[in-house]
Amino acid sequence: MKKTLLSVVVGLSAGFAGNFSAYAHGPLFSPGPETIFKGGTQITAGLQTSKSSGVGQKSRSYQLYLEAEYGLTSDWQVGIEIPYTWKKQNGFTANGLADIVIDSKYLFWKKDLPGAQYKAAALAKLKFPTGKNSTTPRLGSGSVDITGGLTAGYESRRWYWFASAAYRANTKGAGSLKKGDMQFLNVVGGIRPVLTEYSEPDTVLMLEMNWQRAGRDQQGGNKLANTGGWELFVSPLVWWTSGQVAIRGGVQIPVVSALKGNQASADYRAKLEFVYHF
Amino acid sequence: MFKYLKIAALSLGFLFPLTSTTMAAKYTLQVDGLACPFCAYGIEKQLNKTKGVTNIKININDGIITVTTAKGKTMSKAQAARIVKNAGFTLRGFKALN
Repeated sequence: MKKTLLSVVVGLSAGFAGNFSAYAHGPLFSPGPETIFKGGTQITAGLQTSKSSGVGQKSRSYQLYLEAEYGLTSDWQVGIEIPYTWKKQNGFTANGLADIVIDSKYLFWKKDLPGAQYKAAALAKLKFPTGKNSTTPRLGSGSVDITGGLTAGYESRRWYWFASAAYRANTKGAGSLKKGDMQFLNVVGGIRPVLTEYSEPDTVLMLEMNWQRAGRDQQGGNKLANTGGWELFVSPLVWWTSGQVAIRGGVQIPVVSALKGNQASADYRAKLEFVYHF
Repeated sequence: MFKYLKIAALSLGFLFPLTSTTMAAKYTLQVDGLACPFCAYGIEKQLNKTKGVTNIKININDGIITVTTAKGKTMSKAQAARIVKNAGFTLRGFKALN
């Protein structure tokens, strides 16, 4: 029982880090409205790590993931993410395939200006219970989870801004546990310090504010103590591109943690991605 | 006889310079929405898939793309607009340079 509760607590904490695939100069820890061009494919190889601690608990996770996005039209893309996770939690370790995600994004509004674009898109994600949940710690949630959201943004030669809101509905998973639904609100600003030309190396700096809230987990119809709450992160990140290649990385630093009861809270999360599109 | 034909052909050449269908043609595309070098690759890919396109020059800061086509190949404004749209941008202006 204690193991289950620990898994719940740390799983919730790690689960906060919603992965949102991005195209072009989108945010890293939240969704942006960009879609890949018609017939274009983008492959992303990423490493995500997180550390959380508190109330006598410690957990650490590393996740390698491979993403592929394809542009059905210039407004509509579909994608898949395959993650492999290594987790350590209070002395227990487990590694293996985590939950596979398929996603889609549709750009429903766009206004092009000389050297700038305004965009708005709707997105949906479906997470499948492909990760083992018989291990300690669990590698997958054991549930099918659906995320829907809206995102808008502005991209120009010099400045960027994005805003997004998303809702994740979690279904009943392993051990009849239903994790609390989650809400995400994000705002992002960015700047290109030096204006470069086509095929020249290009750098963009961004700063995200990510607010994430989780409802209380439920098991057997009962709400579980020490679950749910919200956290606010500030997340600096950098994009570097050259030709068809991009490298982007960033760190999520918690600035406010309002988790209910006694829960381990995130110390930090970090991501590094290598992107190639063709 | 052959000599007269040759002279006539050369004279016609002087009188009627090569048209766009018999020489390489050049076009400028004014594109709105071009903000970053990484995303502009979509336009290069769409143009490279277009039959007859031999050279592409992208100027991000001015939002201008210069396209050269092979001899006998031309590009219409509608074709350019479709290519730019498929790349995720909007064609504002189209001009044939020769």
